[in-house]
Amino acid sequence: MDSPNNTEHGCYTEHGVSGFGVAAKLSREDSMDSTFVKAMAEEMMLSIAQKCMDSGARCIGHIKSHIRTEAGTIKADTIGVTHGTYSSGKLDHAVNDLYIAINSIIQGIKEDVVRKATLDGLHEVAEGKGVTVVKEKEHTYFDEFDFVASKQEYIKQLEEQLSADD
Amino acid sequence: MKITQIAGFLGCGKTTLLLKLSRMLLGDSERKVALVVNEIGEIPVDGKIMEESGMQVKDIGGGCICCEVASSFAKTLTQLYKSYKPDHILVEPTGVAVPHQVKLAASMAGRDAKISMGPAIVLFDATRPAELLDMDMLGTLVTTQIKDADIIAISKVDAVDAAAVNDSAERIRKYNSKADIVNLSSFDDLGIDELAQRIIDWKE
Repeated sequence: MDSPNNTEHGCYTEHGVSGFGVAAKLSREDSMDSTFVKAMAEEMMLSIAQKCMDSGARCIGHIKSHIRTEAGTIKADTIGVTHGTYSSGKLDHAVNDLYIAINSIIQGIKEDVVRKATLDGLHEVAEGKGVTVVKEKEHTYFDEFDFVASKQEYIKQLEEQLSADD
Repeated sequence: MKITQIAGFLGCGKTTLLLKLSRMLLGDSERKVALVVNEIGEIPVDGKIMEESGMQVKDIGGGCICCEVASSFAKTLTQLYKSYKPDHILVEPTGVAVPHQVKLAASMAGRDAKISMGPAIVLFDATRPAELLDMDMLGTLVTTQIKDADIIAISKVDAVDAAAVNDSAERIRKYNSKADIVNLSSFDDLGIDELAQRIIDWKE
């Protein structure tokens, strides 16, 4: 991979593998339960995978997502459209806000193409289900997340990170 | 401190196995287990998921531990040895790492820490053997991973029939006739206890 847009350098680039990650806050006026969130996350994974393949990818390495809410955690991933998706986790109750991180590792297309497929998949699926992408930040995770913080406190931490300048 | 790597191409089930294997190694014993995860994506999703399981996890970013951040990897191992003194470290390299280079990088920690090498366990995804082996650029990587393996775990055997498992085994044998082959299903808990025991018993 010799694209000037490709900022990764290592053995993976020799194998034509590109990665892109994004974190976002999603909200919906009608609350979202486990079934809804899992279905949405799985649909996002498949949408991103399909967009990558349509853009010339040769192989989906993996596309993984990690969703945090005040009611619990849900994960969803895929290694390709024909392989389907897998999700796990649950929410104790329905929520209006959630925080999602998506990581797409794809072989055969460049990082800017992976980026577009990931962001398009995130937005199209969310918005198709009446969910608003309130904030998003590329190349980040909620690194300062405190696992023992109160719910109010960790939401504050996540909000601060999404608002922080690069 | 025994260092065992769980290698294999992206999406073959390394993270799921690592979590199950670490719990199996811990069991009811006094053993201390730490995990070192190296992800090539921009976001260390796997490391976060593992942290939630309560394990001691070190997440190495910024590149691949088999090449560009090999020295960071060695330093991480040394720091773990000094601060946590684990009996076992399970390493999940990136899906495109080459096991013999990971082993070489880990051996650099031997200057400041008392380490031994566990087996290089390489996972091979039974649901997509042709996809992995029949591509020019990718196939070379996957066959190198297979050649470097001490133990090859054919993963996701719950998702295919017996003929497909045999097909994967035959393909693997063309590249590595010496490694033991284990059938693995992390969802059905098949092969995990065997791999844990192999790690415990492994001598360099």
